This record gives sequence, C-alpha cells and structure tokens, in this order.
Amino acid sequence: MRANPLLYKEFRQRMRARRTPLVVAGYFVSMAALTFFLLYENVQGQLVLVLPARSEQVFLLMSLLQMTVVAFLTPAFAAGAISGERERRTLVVLLTTPLSPFGILVGKVLSSSALLALLLVVSLPLYSLVFLFGGAVPQEVLAVFGFQVLNIVLIAALSVLWSTIALRSGWSTVLSYATVGFMVIFSGVVGYGLRLLAQSPMEFFALRWSNDLLALNPLWMEASLAGVVNVSRHAWVLFLGFYAALVAVLAVPAVFRLRPQLWRLLPGDERNYQ
Amino acid sequence: MIQTQNLVKRYGREVAVNQLNLTVRQGTVFGIVGENGAGKTTTLSMLATLTVPTSGQAFIAGYEVTHQPHEVRRAIGYMPDSFGVYDELTVMEYLRFYADCYGVDRRTAERRAKELLDWVDLGAKRHSYVNALSRGMQQRLEIARCLMHNPEVLILDEPSSGLDPRSRLEMRAVLQRLRSLGKTILVSSHILHELGSVADEIGIMRGGELSAIASVNVMLAHSDAFRTLWISGEGPREAWEAAFADDPHVLNVVDKSPAVEVLYAGTVEQQAQLMKSLMDRGVVLYQFAERPTDIEELFLRLTDQGGEAD
Repeated sequence: MRANPLLYKEFRQRMRARRTPLVVAGYFVSMAALTFFLLYENVQGQLVLVLPARSEQVFLLMSLLQMTVVAFLTPAFAAGAISGERERRTLVVLLTTPLSPFGILVGKVLSSSALLALLLVVSLPLYSLVFLFGGAVPQEVLAVFGFQVLNIVLIAALSVLWSTIALRSGWSTVLSYATVGFMVIFSGVVGYGLRLLAQSPMEFFALRWSNDLLALNPLWMEASLAGVVNVSRHAWVLFLGFYAALVAVLAVPAVFRLRPQLWRLLPGDERNYQ
Repeated sequence: MIQTQNLVKRYGREVAVNQLNLTVRQGTVFGIVGENGAGKTTTLSMLATLTVPTSGQAFIAGYEVTHQPHEVRRAIGYMPDSFGVYDELTVMEYLRFYADCYGVDRRTAERRAKELLDWVDLGAKRHSYVNALSRGMQQRLEIARCLMHNPEVLILDEPSSGLDPRSRLEMRAVLQRLRSLGKTILVSSHILHELGSVADEIGIMRGGELSAIASVNVMLAHSDAFRTLWISGEGPREAWEAAFADDPHVLNVVDKSPAVEVLYAGTVEQQAQLMKSLMDRGVVLYQFAERPTDIEELFLRLTDQGGEAD
C-alpha cells in the first residue's frame, strides 16, 4: 500500500520511457556546452585573470536560460497528464477506484515535475564550476535552484489542471503554453516596456503596472534572487498570491470534471468527462 | 445487492435511460442485452459512479451511488466496454498498482495477483508488458484487475466486445468461472446468445427501458418445448402457407431461401404430421431437420407471450 500509488506508477512509467534518458542526456550536454562556452568567454583563455563580476553574469545567464528552458519543457510533460489518460481510455477505470481527485491531481503534478527536477539536479555540477570563478555563493545557487523547482511544480500544476479541464490534449497543450507564454514572455516584455515608458509623464501608471507585471515574471524574480535586480516584499506576495489563486480557481472545474457527483450541487446537466 | 428505483438519465432532451427498475440478487449473474444505444453503458456507468442519474436511485451493496460513491467504488469491480492499458508496466505491476489504489496490503496483493493471473490463464505472462498482450489477454487481465480488491459486485460492460471468436470463447470460459466465485455480477452484451450460458437472469434494454426480464432456467425449461425446424423443398407457395397455417404448433416462419426456418412448439410426432401435411399438399421435401433453438428467438418468444416469464 502506498500513500499515492499513482505517483509511484507514474515515476516508474516515465523513467522507463525511451525518451527519458535522451532528454536528460541531451539537456546535460547542451547545458555543459553552454557553461563551458560562457566560462571561456569569461576568462578569455587567461585563467589567472578572474573577474568575479563577470562570473556573476555567467551564473545569472545560466540560471535564466535554465529557467526558460524548463518553463517551456514542463507543459510538454504535463499538458497531457489527464486528457491523455482520457484519450487512451485509462481514465475511466482510474475514476472508479477510491483515489480522490486531489490524490489524482497531486500524483500527476509531482510525477510530471519529477523529470524536470531531475534535469535541474544533473545540471548542479555545472553550477559548481561557477564557484571556481567566484560568481555566486552557495546560498544564491540554492535559492535559485529552489525557485526553479517551485516554478516547475507551479507550471506542472497549471498544465495538469488545464489537462483536466480541457477534453483534448491538443487544447490543454495550447492553454498550458499560453499560460507559460504569459508568465515568461508577456509579463516580461510588457512589464519591461512599461518600465522604459516610466520616463514619460505617465510615470506613476507605468511604473506601478511595470512592477506588478514583472512581479509575475519568474525570470525577473529569479534575477532578484541572484542579486541583479531589487524587488519588494510586495512583489513576492503578488507572485505567490497570484499563481496560488490561479491554481485554486482552475482546481474547482478540474475537480468537478473528475467527480461528476459534484454536479448535482449545480443546476443543469453534468459534462460527462469519461 | 444491486437495485435501481425509477432510474433516469437524460442528456439535454435525449433520454438515455428511462425509469429503470432492476434488482440483482446477491450471488447471481444478471445479463443486460440490447442494441448499441439502448442505454446499457449509461446504466452501468451510473452504477459505477461515473455518471450521475438525473433522477431515481441506485443502490449497490446497500450504498447509494450518488451520495455514497466512495463506498460504492470499494464495493465494485468495473470493466468498461472500451478501455486502455498503461504502457511500460508489466502485468504484475499493473495489478499491484490497482491493488494499491484500493489499499490492499502488499503481501495480499502479491498473492492475489498471482492467483488471479493463473485463474484467467495469464500466469505465464506475469512479467510481460501489458501493452504487449493481445486484446483477448488484456480483456482477461481486466477481469483479474476487477477482482484485485475482492469486490462484492462486478459490473462488466460488454466484456467480449472486439474479440475474435477464439478469444470470445476464452472470455466466456472466464465468465463461467466467475459464477463459481459467488459474486454478484451485472454483465452487458449486445448478443443475447453470449449471456445464455453465463447469466441467471437476462433483461432486454430497448430505448433506455428494460423491456423484458426472463430467468435463464425458465428459458432452458421452455427450450425443450420450442424447436427450430429447417425445411427445404419444392412446391406451390400456397401449399406451404396452407400447411403452416393449419398446424397450430407453428409459431413463426422465416423465409431463409432456399429453405424456411420454423419455430415449432410441438412434439416429434406432431412434426411428423407437419411433414406429412406438406407432402400431401404436393411439396417435394429435400430437407426436414431440427436445429438447436436460438436463445435469442426463444427469449423474444417467451417475453412477447408473457411479459416477465420468471
């Protein structure tokens, strides 16, 4: 007997899939090549001339790049979590077991996040190289690593919820990438654009919206952990509060999808998901 | 053990199941037969807590399906008409996963999985990957999966659908063995013949309603009285029609050129009289043979005559 049998089963399935070692190896090789390239650019072949400020840039660049890659990779592993089960006709049996909707969703989120977290773990030795050149302190690396794991779980949760709400994997993938697009691209581009506009007479409006939008951007918040930009405590509250609220809002229809008995609480016919 | 009271399911204006009243006694096998779209799957889906009834009630093992779905899920083993299996899992891992879902302890799950795999003739496949099994094997594995938590009630939706003739026979053998376990079983099929050797009672669903229920024992008792005759020959059409019309034991005649199929409720001596009557009217007989009675035809005959034959 296991606390969450679905989680255990998913781990087993995902780690046995043929693409898993390819993804992990491909990711590590790419990150290693990038790291060595950046470090070489940093020292320009002169190992005696170490510039910690430049090494800090290497650390920041690596972190932001890693965050971007895992943010866009996570929906690929999570957006078909429930809709894929429905399409493969395995969901119907799962829903007749005593597993709760919460247990099913948590199992799917954590199992989808696991492979992405593994990618972060295999890249940790590369971060240790940055220490050699004085670019970051261990606390910063740990904070960035923890924040990246948090974002993976967050994006996986949003993708799994979209996957439960949407009837087809195609739609859930579109919705998941739209969400990641908002988080990484829209909030960053518009937020930073408004910051540039803040020089104009619209200063108050532009700055307030710029700060709020950038607070929703995981890259911006990660940069603050690396000490490159300053964000207020309000920004952290906004980041955590906004995405927690989004997960909570999406969880309601998702649970209704998985437990049709709840529809009797509402007027109208249930939407038969199986 | 299974009881429905005025169970109704509507999808918008469409009525999928209409005022269904059904009782399946403990330890018996009840077969639901009906064409596609008759409401079988919707009924079983409501009983399996996958769909909520629009009105009416359904009880399984004393639990109401809408208000006590958790208890119902523990009491049932459900096999859907169309199902998939998980990739990258062996047969044993597949069964262990479902045992874990029901909170069966590891040792019991291991023992039960091995017993059940032997029971459905898949003992040699326990380390094979589930997705590598044939469709027939997967269907039998699903039966084993349904039994992993030792439920009181089994709900099987068209367990033989999509199988080749050989696999159908294997599945029928498994279903017959299921009877010996003393479980209460509700099984559906669109072929009545398939359930004849498995079910204690059979109900026909048409247009979302249970139009008739008959005991298989009663049907078998009647089957001696009903015979299917296969007659071929040459002669004037009027002669054939007159001979059949004059014989009160002829219940039904179906033209299956070059022969006719006659449902006959008479003795062997009375059959001989029919043969003589045809020949007296100038019919040259090529063949006059008795065939095994089609259970489907018999069922319809019984239920048309007396409503509930039980």
